Amino acid sequence: MFQGILADLVHNLKKLPGIGNKSAQRLAMYIISIKKEKALQIADSIKTAVENYSNCSICNMLTENDPCDFCSDKSRSNKLLCIVENTQDIYLIEEIQEYKGKYYVLGNLLSPLDGIGPEQINFPRLINFIRSEDIEEIILALNPSAEGESTMNFLGSQLSKYVNKITRLSTGLPFGGDIEYTSSLTLRNAFKRRYSVKD
Amino acid sequence: MEINYLKLINFRNYTQFDINFSSEGALIYGKNGIGKTNLLEAIAYFAFGKSFQTSHDVDLINFSQKFFRISAKFNLFEKELYFECAVDKEQKKIKIDDIKIPRISELYKYIKVVYFSPDDLGFTAGAPVYRRFFFDQAISQYSFDYIELLRKYNRILKQRNALLKKKFGEKEKMVWDKQFVKYGVEIIKRRLNYLKEFIPVLSQHYFYISGEKENLQTKYIYSFPIDNNTNLENNFLTYLKKIEVQEIENQRSLAGPHLDDIKFDIETHPARRFASQGQKRSIAIAARLVQAGMISQKDKEAPILMFDDVLSELDKERTKKILKILKKNHQIFIVTPNHEIYKDLALPGINLEKIV
Repeated sequence: MFQGILADLVHNLKKLPGIGNKSAQRLAMYIISIKKEKALQIADSIKTAVENYSNCSICNMLTENDPCDFCSDKSRSNKLLCIVENTQDIYLIEEIQEYKGKYYVLGNLLSPLDGIGPEQINFPRLINFIRSEDIEEIILALNPSAEGESTMNFLGSQLSKYVNKITRLSTGLPFGGDIEYTSSLTLRNAFKRRYSVKD
Repeated sequence: MEINYLKLINFRNYTQFDINFSSEGALIYGKNGIGKTNLLEAIAYFAFGKSFQTSHDVDLINFSQKFFRISAKFNLFEKELYFECAVDKEQKKIKIDDIKIPRISELYKYIKVVYFSPDDLGFTAGAPVYRRFFFDQAISQYSFDYIELLRKYNRILKQRNALLKKKFGEKEKMVWDKQFVKYGVEIIKRRLNYLKEFIPVLSQHYFYISGEKENLQTKYIYSFPIDNNTNLENNFLTYLKKIEVQEIENQRSLAGPHLDDIKFDIETHPARRFASQGQKRSIAIAARLVQAGMISQKDKEAPILMFDDVLSELDKERTKKILKILKKNHQIFIVTPNHEIYKDLALPGINLEKIV
């Protein structure tokens, strides 16, 4: 039933994350069925965003301005560096309004299955960044997945030459969690990294 | 725990079928091909989230149909819970009391079934993969977070195997090895812990079933050499360094819990090679009984037991003894073409020829 132009549209929508065949068909039908201006508005804003966003030449995050707002913000501490996997993570961390240091976006995690080794992670740029700033602590804010753990181990060993203090986010009981329903892996981590009640 | 009611739509040979069960279970009989095992398969689907016969869910859909739906009422944790599984070519949905579960493996927390399968002969005589599968499944039923551990290990194993297929630096390999060893050792430790309880009871059961004549020895076999002067992590890591060239040649991981085994000896003779058919069957049945016993003890809920015609090849004495070990508090399902041998159990009989 989907042919020609419409099939192309479905095919392209399917490239988006989380969109399968059915969703792509539904979206495509929706797009051609609504008012032309409304549909073109969507197309336009995709085009504008794509044309105006690129990677920050310092921290690698996707940004409208190069260098990005974080890198050019003089009020942010250049003693702290937080390494994340992608730009989205920066916004999540910003939401907690706790962190006032610099960021660096890795872009990839080590994953031999996807052909990602240390060469695919832009190391020279990261090391340049660290050397040019007065970094005292690096915070590795990566997922505690197999790929994230390996990447943190790797970064830890590679960056210890430049910075003494390298930390990672804590893993343990979730806030409002329940010990009864916590896996023993998580519980063990929580035990290992317990902290004083005064903190 | 028990199943009170089962309804099948388009499942295997059943297009539309429902049945009530008593809390003791049932002795299900009828001629070959009538769908006796399929009934057990449906009940066990609620325990494992998949078939014990095939890994392809579509094979379970009745030939002329596009989907199957099975539902059941179980008594557990002192209440009645309603389970439903619906599968078509594209998706699989499992609901407990009308709420979709986020992961299929969640089922392991609820329904515990111990299935005495004709294929269990492979447990004693088959390739090591049978035994790893048996214990991995049994431990997952016993403590749920073992599933998470296995998932993590398998992910790292996959990544490490991919690494061995390409060019890599020493440091890159080290970070994968470190994790591989960490989770690998965690799995081995969990298995050893389970076996510590499992082995003595297994020997006891087997000794009894064999007419107090045969001693069974069970041992965990590592895929890497063990030097007792150092810990497991070091043993594993040292061996990985030693076999690095071979691993690169073979492009896959050649040591780790995914290659470990469990060995059974009757007296001092390896059961895999020397045991008779009846002896092999007895070991497998005894192992299933221990699996069931350990769940009962931990959960304070007796798992449902299913016997798929596994006793017919044993002599009368052994059969009698096995039926004696069976605790009365289990709900028991037995399927057989020949129901005479089970009459001592006094289970309610279901003649499928009359109702299908």
